Amino acid sequence: MSPNDEDEALIAAALNGSAFAWEKLVKRYESKIYNHGLRLMGNSSDAMDLMQEVFLGVYRNLHRFRGDAKFSSWIFRIAHNKAVDLNRKKRLLAGYPVDSDNDGDVVDSLPDEEGSEPDLQLLQSEQNRNIMAMLNTLPFEQRLIVELKVFQSLTFEEIAEMQGISDNTAKTRFYTALRKLKSLTEEHHVLS
Amino acid sequence: MSCPKTPHILQEYLADDLTPLAKVEIDKHLLQCEHCSRELEVLMLTQSQLADWREERVPHWDRGTELFRREHRVSKESPSWFTTWQWMPTAASFAMLCLLILNTSVSVGNGGFSVSFGSPEGDLDAVLAAFELDQRAEIDSVIARFESRQDANNLQLMQAVMSQTQQATVENLDQIYAYFEEQRRQDMQLMSQGYQQLADSDYATVQSLQELAQFVSFQGAR
Repeated sequence: MSPNDEDEALIAAALNGSAFAWEKLVKRYESKIYNHGLRLMGNSSDAMDLMQEVFLGVYRNLHRFRGDAKFSSWIFRIAHNKAVDLNRKKRLLAGYPVDSDNDGDVVDSLPDEEGSEPDLQLLQSEQNRNIMAMLNTLPFEQRLIVELKVFQSLTFEEIAEMQGISDNTAKTRFYTALRKLKSLTEEHHVLS
Repeated sequence: MSCPKTPHILQEYLADDLTPLAKVEIDKHLLQCEHCSRELEVLMLTQSQLADWREERVPHWDRGTELFRREHRVSKESPSWFTTWQWMPTAASFAMLCLLILNTSVSVGNGGFSVSFGSPEGDLDAVLAAFELDQRAEIDSVIARFESRQDANNLQLMQAVMSQTQQATVENLDQIYAYFEEQRRQDMQLMSQGYQQLADSDYATVQSLQELAQFVSFQGAR
């Protein structure tokens, strides 16, 4: 049985009232969604918030899942939407304008609020700390593109459709993000 | 030395819909342009560094099983017997609570059964006070009956003891009287024998004196 078939079997059982199937379905994806949240939100607390929001959304809309697409794609689409919502709420609460199309200079758009610093104490490895620190220097929209392209292995066409932007904008954002990360890496090497 | 084509070249190279012809053109440019080639190398290195992410373990959290059950109960897609009847314990508890609060009583008689709410004697305190009084009166009555019976038993016991004691005393006096009577009779016999022996002794003494007097008179005569 393929992972997709297992997902569909678990979904059918969960819809028939099996709490066990629902819990198994959650366990299959909670780690991926949590790590997705860590990279996007930059700290464990927000990642947990995002993960729980995602599974609540999945739970409430499970009966609408028709199996036309993979469940993994469906859940990550929900995760993407929830991450955008959560980031918007955070920025509004912090008093920053919501600017979703900031493709300007990376240095000019660096997030400088303290609340977006990664929760370094909770991270397990030095490697992950470095990656989160790097990603956290990117504007959220660029971070989202990097997440979808590098970690979710989506095509630019899929990313563009998900975000409601053109393919070229998606490519430009990704390239800009990589350049910014590259410069950070070079600075790090020079400083060390 | 920079190259004006670098952004375009690298964006196209990173695209996943690159045509074979475009790829040949880009590869050709990369072979000729050191700047673009180095830029691409660093970007790919950066991308690979990101891909080195290690999965973090999820902190403990409530996976919402209860939430699922609660929401699934109202789901129209798949009602099950559990979701249909799981409200029964709660409803039964609520009904029992209502019966308790309303002080409901059910009585069965010849004419069937009847259900009444509240207490006919008034409130619960009055019922409890009357019950306590009844209990005390019953206890007092039992104690009185017990005391009376105990007194009768004691009296009967004392009479029996006294009667037995009196009888024993009379018997003892009779025995003492008989004892003294026997002693007196024995003493009289002993005294009689003593007097007889004394009389016999006196007679012998007189006889000896007579014999002595005859001997003396015989000797004087010679």
